[in-house]
Amino acid sequence: MANILIVEDDKDLNNAYTIILNKEGYTVESAFDGQEALDKLTSFKPQLILLDLLMPIMGGLEFLKQFNLKNHPDVKVLIFTNMENSPEVTEAYSLGAHRCIIKSWTAPHNLARVITDALESKPAKPAKDLSQNKA
Amino acid sequence: MEKPHNNNRTRLEEERAQAEALFSSLGDGAIATDQFGKITRINSVALELLGYSASELIGEWFPRRIIALTEKGAPINLIDRPITQAFLTGKPVNEKTFYQTKDGHRLPVSISVSPILLANKPLGAIEVFRDITLEEEIDRMKSEFISLASHQLRTPLSAIKTYSHMLADGYMGDVTAPQKKSLRTIISATNRMNELISTLLNITRIESGTIAITPKILQLDKAAEEVIKDLSLAASEKSIRLTLKKIGQTSTRVKTDNLIVKEVISNLISNAIKYTSDEGTVRVEVRGRARDVIVGVHDNGWGIPASAHDQVFSKFFRATNIVKRETTGTGLGLYLVKGLLDRLGGTIWFESVEGKGTTFYFTLPKAAAKVRLKV
Repeated sequence: MANILIVEDDKDLNNAYTIILNKEGYTVESAFDGQEALDKLTSFKPQLILLDLLMPIMGGLEFLKQFNLKNHPDVKVLIFTNMENSPEVTEAYSLGAHRCIIKSWTAPHNLARVITDALESKPAKPAKDLSQNKA
Repeated sequence: MEKPHNNNRTRLEEERAQAEALFSSLGDGAIATDQFGKITRINSVALELLGYSASELIGEWFPRRIIALTEKGAPINLIDRPITQAFLTGKPVNEKTFYQTKDGHRLPVSISVSPILLANKPLGAIEVFRDITLEEEIDRMKSEFISLASHQLRTPLSAIKTYSHMLADGYMGDVTAPQKKSLRTIISATNRMNELISTLLNITRIESGTIAITPKILQLDKAAEEVIKDLSLAASEKSIRLTLKKIGQTSTRVKTDNLIVKEVISNLISNAIKYTSDEGTVRVEVRGRARDVIVGVHDNGWGIPASAHDQVFSKFFRATNIVKRETTGTGLGLYLVKGLLDRLGGTIWFESVEGKGTTFYFTLPKAAAKVRLKV
């Protein structure tokens, strides 16, 4: 099973995602801001990063700039935020984010499914057939 | 007794003195020009705001001497300057812009230019302007607050929703059927709270006029595709088939605000999902036409009763058949959508048969909406 890095400053949510993804069989590491995530990435090699945008110390956009997905074609980044339709989300896409999910709309089973879909998809391929997203 | 011509001269001098006093004592900056746009008079507030002395400006050509800048700092073309527009149209022009002061500083100003007309011929123009630095700062702080409030209010809600789901789905051990039912109630209440937060924040923005419109070229079918990606999870929770189709070969490119147009599409699709039974269908169709692009959001849901058709876009309105079935609506979504489309120069209407389904259509013009003259 794949490795997943969760980058989320809210401890309750970080803990919840860890429980959900552990149960799905993934190996999960947690970071609580962008800087801690960069530090973890020196030893932990995830195939997917679940990334919040608004965080203290270093936010998600700054993390994306420093991590630079162009140098890591095998890593997918899923943006997990409550700022839907915001300029920050648009910028995250331009920095190579695979998909954006709205936290407050996403139930655990859907989170697990979106992660499976993302891990199975090829890099930078937008989902053309939208009906495939159905549960 | 004075002679009549002396009387007239005195009155003329009095009027001139009054006009001079009025001009000088205005609390805002004021600049008068002749019919060629040369500065004939400027008051002390204008001189103070711009940092010039009167002798540096009198007799100078206004658009060349006082540089107006865009938000990004580029000089505004002569044709787009409010004073040019006032001369060309013969009508007053109100606008926000930036003036470059003598020391190179960029000053946000709200200006009002009125042409002086005699027998429909311009004799000159008067521009009154004021410094809006403080207002701009308050606007910026308000936008930041709204954005932060939206995020901060939702974070605890996300935790409530996620943990309720985890309990209901058995992540923490088995739950009984009544416990599960209670958890579903908590989840549905958090969903409702989420929607309320989004809608109220957007309505606050539009009603206070703080919604910023940044037009850029975009393809409406692509914008719809992105929205559908975000909403596919909500659709899948009700096993609703959500599809997108571009009809015809005509371009769907429009010059509009990306975020606002997505908010419109998102509201219409969310409504279609909400007011359609499980395993229903929601179809989004985008068609480019000569002068505009039309988007249709079709559902085979519960429909809107004919008696309610004329109230659909009213604030807090909810149709009677919907109130009985679905308690989570706010009655604000379509009011918001209509307000947003008005700002974008678009139109909206619908066709609906109760029990069969509803289609909402909206159009957006291919040219940018002229909400106000270019700043």
